Amino acid sequence: MVLVGLVVGAAVALVALLIPWLPTAASTEAGPIDQVYWFVTGICIFVFALVAAVSAYSVWKFRAAPDDHEDGKPIHGNTRLEIIWTLVPTILVTAISIYSGIALASVQEPSPDARTIKVTAQQFAWNFAYPNLSGRSTGDLVVQVDKPVVLEMTSKDVIHSFWVPQFRMKQDVVPGINTQVPFTPTKVGTFPVICTELCGLGHPTMRAEVRVLSAADYATWASQEKGGTATTGAGGGDAGKAAFEQFGCSSCHTLADAGSTAQVGPDLDKVLKGKDADFVRTSIVDPNKEIATGYQPGVMPQEFGDQVPEQQLDALVDYLVKATNG
Amino acid sequence: MAVHEAGVHHELETSAAPPPRRRGIRRWTGPGWLRALWLTPAFFGAVTGIVALCRWALGYPDLLAFQPWITSCLTFVPFGFLIGIGGFDYWGRYMIGKPTLPEDHSGHGARSWRDYFRVNTDHKVIGVQYVVTTIFFFVAAGLMAMFMRAELAKPGMQFVDSETFNGLFSVHASLMIFLFIIPAFAGLGNYVIPLMIGAPDMAFPRLNALSFWLLPIAGLMMLSSYIVGPFAAGWTNYVPLSEVAPHGNIFFQMAVQWAGASSIMTALNFLVTIITMRAPGMTFWRMPLLVWANFATSTLVVIATPFIAGSQFFILLDRVLHFNFFDPTQGGHVLAYQHIFWFYSHPAVYIMMLPGFGIASEVIAVFARKPIFGYRLMALSLMAILVLGFSVWAHHMFVSGMANWLRIPMMVTSFLIAVPTGIKVFSWLATLWEGRIRFTTPMLFATGFVSMFVIGGLSGIYLASVPIDIHASDTYFVVAHIHYVLFGGSLFTIFAGIYYWFPKMTGRMYDERLGKIHFWLTFVGFNVTFFPMHWLGLHGMPRRVADYSPDYGTLNFVISLASFFLGASTLLFLYNMIVSWRRGAIAPGNPWRALTLEWQVSSPPPVFNFDAIPQVVGSPYEYGVRGARHAVLPEEEGAEVPTREREEVGVT
Repeated sequence: MVLVGLVVGAAVALVALLIPWLPTAASTEAGPIDQVYWFVTGICIFVFALVAAVSAYSVWKFRAAPDDHEDGKPIHGNTRLEIIWTLVPTILVTAISIYSGIALASVQEPSPDARTIKVTAQQFAWNFAYPNLSGRSTGDLVVQVDKPVVLEMTSKDVIHSFWVPQFRMKQDVVPGINTQVPFTPTKVGTFPVICTELCGLGHPTMRAEVRVLSAADYATWASQEKGGTATTGAGGGDAGKAAFEQFGCSSCHTLADAGSTAQVGPDLDKVLKGKDADFVRTSIVDPNKEIATGYQPGVMPQEFGDQVPEQQLDALVDYLVKATNG
Repeated sequence: MAVHEAGVHHELETSAAPPPRRRGIRRWTGPGWLRALWLTPAFFGAVTGIVALCRWALGYPDLLAFQPWITSCLTFVPFGFLIGIGGFDYWGRYMIGKPTLPEDHSGHGARSWRDYFRVNTDHKVIGVQYVVTTIFFFVAAGLMAMFMRAELAKPGMQFVDSETFNGLFSVHASLMIFLFIIPAFAGLGNYVIPLMIGAPDMAFPRLNALSFWLLPIAGLMMLSSYIVGPFAAGWTNYVPLSEVAPHGNIFFQMAVQWAGASSIMTALNFLVTIITMRAPGMTFWRMPLLVWANFATSTLVVIATPFIAGSQFFILLDRVLHFNFFDPTQGGHVLAYQHIFWFYSHPAVYIMMLPGFGIASEVIAVFARKPIFGYRLMALSLMAILVLGFSVWAHHMFVSGMANWLRIPMMVTSFLIAVPTGIKVFSWLATLWEGRIRFTTPMLFATGFVSMFVIGGLSGIYLASVPIDIHASDTYFVVAHIHYVLFGGSLFTIFAGIYYWFPKMTGRMYDERLGKIHFWLTFVGFNVTFFPMHWLGLHGMPRRVADYSPDYGTLNFVISLASFFLGASTLLFLYNMIVSWRRGAIAPGNPWRALTLEWQVSSPPPVFNFDAIPQVVGSPYEYGVRGARHAVLPEEEGAEVPTREREEVGVT
């Protein structure tokens, strides 16, 4: 039986070690979190091997022959054994609790020199505003490597959740309260920002990227942003097209010109064909006024009238009229 | 009290004749489907009229605005059906001062298949009604899962649009939880518990009948949400999404009320039955563990279920009457919903698991031919889970934005609950030790349950640890975990229970060979389907998405194939049940040579279970102890105890 236990334990350990169960770690927070993960995995391998060994052995050894009508040995219990299997798990889970508590303390408080970035989530787009860059905002998150940041987050409509698997950090973004998530990126690269709280029909498309830049690249990017010469997430410098990305239109609508193929809402290439600017504007600020056939009212957010600044709205309407009638 | 009632039943048993046939107009006014057929639309018309009249009187523009109208309909029209079918007849006559009908026992027992479609007060008929109804909803919800896996087989959108997909996973979960697992256990308990404690029926047979008939109503409501735009906010129905979601959401909110009412009524019935109707000698420490498990579960249901009812009423009030419980712009608080919701829905996990623990204990003891190892600690650990279960709800909210200080205490209690759960697993293993194990189908499912539940429990340890949960929360890791617990745990034990008591319920044996094939197909299909989901979740696939990164394409394709295989294995189960029920070999009273009381009577049992009240003299699990007995069935004039049973029970 001990042999079975060792074999199972070794097999499970190989499965745990050989398959890369966790994605690349790219933040300082990933360190303690992954340590707890491996600590728990160690204990679990031990428990699983023990249980598997006892059950495999019993199933094999104590099987009754088909014609055997005898009963088993009437063992009613064993107080010492029962005390052991109450106490040992208690000790193990206490150990995991303490270890988890320590790890948690090291990841949940932002470092005092962390840069604040204001995050606003809405169906189905992210907006990241940088107070240190005179409030400029982008649709993808841009941070500097090895520089601690803290995201101050809120939502305009329903609950969303900010998750970067490589950072191991996740936090819900809740309307009416401010939540925060601190992290320090440690690897230069581009990682996905994933919404993990069901937020409506466009939930699977509510993705953005976090671009971790080296100090030099970050400085270049920051100076460009401050100067207002470029906007991340929008190519070509076309203000209307940029707004189409920034306010999340592309998460739900197909528009060939902007390269979006989402199918939550109506295909704009079709429904806006031959429509004038007034119709386009009304459809954005008061989407329930006219509903395309086959779609439900109340699905598209109704707050765009308040959210999109007048100038950008003009540009967006202009762009949509041109893109669908050109 | 029990003795007295049983005595009366015994005298009257000979008069248990089929209900008198009504003729002419009386066919339409007496309780039954015909009366329900006209009373339901009559209620619908009346409710519609009253809503329109009220709105007209108050000067509202739209006389039949959809939300107030449909809410009123879903609240009152089911009463039309229930009154029609006869769920309230006895109480109705009593309330208005009419003489109640003399108890003719025509509502007891089933003489033909038609009796299963009537309001019937026999706990055995109700138990079968429950099990069959819940299997119908199990198949429906399973088909929804198949559609989901078809969509998820490839990245991108193929078969369904986003709205349908969200509807599929929301209704799948709601049906599986509220219309399958919870009531399936209630159904098995309904059939078995009065028999196990030596009682002639449940304490409140009419309430028992009524609580069954609420179920199809709740189920149809969940299904019909597709008509008006599916219920698509996830079964957790988080605000504010649920407050702006399409009208189908109201169908979920009302369906939960009906299913919840059914669950509470049954739980009260179990509690009173277990406390007051045990046969003489059946002390608490002599109760089979399934009875203990249902005692703990019923306590959980009675305390916790009002919380989910409340949480859904709050959303309903917000939606229909513009209250602002959860609207942050009007002083409401979004997280309040989650606290109320999980205060039910975490204990609900134990509501869906403890009866399964009970079934596993019965099956393992019988087929290992050994007493349950550490019986008292097994019972006490059920009670420990019951108490601790109320102190862990916020572990579903570690990343929700709730107060940070709450994370540590909720983590510690969540870990502690692993201790009584561990005790149960170790005790089952120790029960196998030195046993003489017979691997019949129920035993395969029970031991399969123990091994799968260990994996589900261990992945629960990961999720209970706050730092790991920050990473794994709301991902496919969670999907894997709940399916190991609810499929590997609850469903495996439900299968074990159905196979185990099938001979008792139907009087026929199921096909053992098909049963074993069913187990192995399910076991393999289940693991290939759900185990890879752990990896997907840790790597970055969030739950509840119709579309995902192409990186996960291959693995999702494998999972989808395995899930179709798993789905197909259920056909084998259905085939086995249907064919065996009609043509299986006749079952003896006690095919498993079990000691508990339900096996000491014929299969199926007589209408009032016991011809004479049994006398309980010892523990229910004394296998292998020479001369030990659980109960003595006193011999009576005309009692139909077949000779074989008589020998085995030791009555001479």
